[in-house]
Amino acid sequence: MSEYSVIGQRIPKLDAREKVTGRCKYAGDMRMEGMLYGKLVRCWDYAHAEVVKIDFSEARKVPGVVKCLGPKDVTRKNYNTTIMKLLVPAVFSDVFGEIADLNIFNARVKHQGDVVCGIIAKTEKAAERAAEKVKIEYKPLPVIMTAEESKKKNAIQFTPLKPGNLAANFPDSFFPNNEYGWNAEDGKTVHQKFKDADLVVEDTFYVPRQKQVQMENHAYVALYDDRGRLNCWTSTQMPKLVQNLIGELFELPLTRVRLVQTPIGGGFGCRLGMIAEPHACAMAMAVPGIPVKIEYLREEDWVASESRASGHFYVKAGFKKDGTPVACYGDYQVLKGGYYTHGSGPPFCTAAFMHGMYKWQAMGCKADIWFNNMVPFGAYRGYGNPENTFGVEQLVDRACNKLGIDPIGWRKKWAKGIGDESWLKGVNFVSSGLDDCVKEAKKKIGWDKKKKQYANQKGVKRRGVGIGIMQHTSGAWPMLLEHSNVIMRLNEDCTVEIMASVSDLGTGAHTAVTQMAAEALGWPIDDVHLKCCDSDVNGFDIGAHASRTIYCVGRAVMQTAADLKKQLLERAAQNLQLKLEDVEFAEDKEIVCTWDSSKRINCRTIAEQSIYSFDDPATGKTIGIPGQMVAHYSDFVKHCSPPFAACCAEVEVDIETGEVKVLCLSNAHDIGKAIHPPSVEGQLEGGAHQGLGYILSEDIYYDDKGLCLNNDFTDYKMFGASDMPAENYVTLVESAPDDIGPFGAKSCGESALMGPIGSVANAIYDAIGIQITDAPVTPERVLAAIKKNGGVK
Amino acid sequence: MKKRAITLFINGDEYNITVDADETLTQVIRNQLNLTDLKHCCGRGECGACTVQVEDDRYPTGKKIINSCLSLAAMMDGKRIYTVGGLEKGGTLHPVQEAFVEQGAVQCGFCSGGMIMKTVDILENNAKAGEAEIREGLEGNICRCTGYTKIVEAAKQAGKVMAAGK
Repeated sequence: MSEYSVIGQRIPKLDAREKVTGRCKYAGDMRMEGMLYGKLVRCWDYAHAEVVKIDFSEARKVPGVVKCLGPKDVTRKNYNTTIMKLLVPAVFSDVFGEIADLNIFNARVKHQGDVVCGIIAKTEKAAERAAEKVKIEYKPLPVIMTAEESKKKNAIQFTPLKPGNLAANFPDSFFPNNEYGWNAEDGKTVHQKFKDADLVVEDTFYVPRQKQVQMENHAYVALYDDRGRLNCWTSTQMPKLVQNLIGELFELPLTRVRLVQTPIGGGFGCRLGMIAEPHACAMAMAVPGIPVKIEYLREEDWVASESRASGHFYVKAGFKKDGTPVACYGDYQVLKGGYYTHGSGPPFCTAAFMHGMYKWQAMGCKADIWFNNMVPFGAYRGYGNPENTFGVEQLVDRACNKLGIDPIGWRKKWAKGIGDESWLKGVNFVSSGLDDCVKEAKKKIGWDKKKKQYANQKGVKRRGVGIGIMQHTSGAWPMLLEHSNVIMRLNEDCTVEIMASVSDLGTGAHTAVTQMAAEALGWPIDDVHLKCCDSDVNGFDIGAHASRTIYCVGRAVMQTAADLKKQLLERAAQNLQLKLEDVEFAEDKEIVCTWDSSKRINCRTIAEQSIYSFDDPATGKTIGIPGQMVAHYSDFVKHCSPPFAACCAEVEVDIETGEVKVLCLSNAHDIGKAIHPPSVEGQLEGGAHQGLGYILSEDIYYDDKGLCLNNDFTDYKMFGASDMPAENYVTLVESAPDDIGPFGAKSCGESALMGPIGSVANAIYDAIGIQITDAPVTPERVLAAIKKNGGVK
Repeated sequence: MKKRAITLFINGDEYNITVDADETLTQVIRNQLNLTDLKHCCGRGECGACTVQVEDDRYPTGKKIINSCLSLAAMMDGKRIYTVGGLEKGGTLHPVQEAFVEQGAVQCGFCSGGMIMKTVDILENNAKAGEAEIREGLEGNICRCTGYTKIVEAAKQAGKVMAAGK
């Protein structure tokens, strides 16, 4: 029997019923008395242009229009959509060169879909009609799409704050030679160390601009109320940090900014920081006392909200004849898009996850991030790791193939493990379930049998198997601040109200956090209730990013529960006139004396007396101990317990059509402890869907004018139900619980996306003997690669 | 815009309303009738989030499955329309809803209403639908969270319940 009674149980998710009945109200479902509708007027025809003139005269004539807002009608303060500067010391922000280069309404369009002005109207339809009638005169500017164009000496400059259009790199003052990595023990740099290698493999990989494609279109309601408070209902992943940013932008103290988080219809990083909260709030401030709603159309979301980083990633790896990894170097030339937003964040993490994976004698990675006229890149599940996985995992297999070494054996031998430095310097792995992940992933796909079976193939359809491994993170410390607050308030019936700003993106976080609270208290799950998502109630929390929620909030929950239990023991001891060390918890909320079980009191009595406190009419003495019990813990996690995973894939490649079909995926994940197993499985199964999209079908395409060619579900191809491998196995490996994670748990939110990328790429290599360096691996690219290679193996 | 007086029967309730001739069924149900169990996503029939059933005698079940964003409300005059909000009867979930809850087939939930209606339609046509048939049937409904594994499992579970109930 399990040592736990609540965690690990496959209970229905707490929000499942409201979601299957349609009763769950997302921001777009909100209706308020007298609500007005805001429409953002975007530039659709140019990716780069100056706004010369805005003419509202025709728009104002549309019946139902309340206000037309241009750049002068809202704050002209610059801002940055991200929360980065809040999460690092100020000195770091300066060193990295973070800038605020965005306006609510922009006088210069830097990508298609940039917002120029806005309409407020009585109906959505009137707002849309008026938006169409706004006449905007543009002066087209040269469109820059590639890094080469962006870095040219005479190239048009995106911002005077970043001369030369270099939005970011790894600053020399922190990263010698602008590289993140380490020198060899003999003092040689990564560049010098390649001379010691017997085999060097290298290639330049194109990594795609994947879109998060959360199903809920961005929607907001904002109200500048009669008390002078700015209220905003939003499905942001980071309500407390966005509250802070909104306060700063509109120069309001936090007492006058209320952020209410609505149910999140998918996030995957796209709701990390602000999207159109500034616009909704600016519109609300233009019509005080009246709520204003903005709801994006899907095509707006596609062209205007931040995507994954894309660019060219050069990777070089050196090995000894026996496979010993000597050196690994990466050079990532990244396309920023029109605005700074996350700056060097995701590319730095590409380098960091390269840092955390294998025991190279020396390693280094640089990144130059160039402004261009694409949609800006921001956060997307995996945050830099997919790029690393796509390049490095393929080169490892190429080297193993050339050296005649088993790629699985090589990975088990040379992957970092306990005691080694992880993705960030100074943070060592404290647990690793990688070996068991490899074993399970291999077993479920039938690796050995299939490997033999596919050794010598002829014919049009070639099958292959491949492996990819990965490590990720649980939270972002020490790169970024990790801070969570949990308050537990004991009700008079001895149930607990938990106040914590926990973001649930559909991941099951609310369910898992509730389970952990119940487990930590030792009480039934019905005796705890999680109240979140309102800045008026909840204390500080980072919100959801970096796969942090279960790991970081879970720890805070455990600390708070321990405090509440201690308070209960103290009151019990006082009540029973015993010492604290003489009492302990027993069944059914009883607290008993360790040496005389007749001395006992129930927590229900303590709870009731804490609130309904009376003096005994006969004696005049107070009955019980008065004062409602509240426990609070403000937790700064000082670790990030990276989880590992191994994924095996089986593919079939049609060498005449170039089509790649994934027949089977087997992903085993080092979860440590699965708090809510169906949710962990769901993360892995869904992560596979997005990983397969990255490697096989998804990218945003632009024409030469910088206009998006595929801003819809038809032209942006994601895997459908029958495209997914019918065999999509996930294994939750719990053999390596983590000493720091709550109940041993490590993260699983982002990491499932990586395994399929490396494993499918390597399975294609196994099937046809050719590596495809550009993702997504489309049929055209497969055929081109076969042609270039002069046929298959 | 031309107005038109129409009657819609949504989940058994009668609504006599005046609509703009160019308004879609999604817009009317959500914005005029405030029935927000029906979700709006792409607005062009690509994602399936707004899937509903409409009575249609030409189909064996007497119902046709449609994307409500692609149908004009004016053309639905007099029709019976079924949305996810009408599946629960007397506090009891429909077997498909029940299976979605039990299998963990719901993550963010935004596609769930449309996905459930599509599953209901597949199974009303053939409760014994196999995995391939279910997957093919769900092709027009996009989910970005689950990878479809648990949705397909839920459909199989519900199929068994519905087959036994007939």
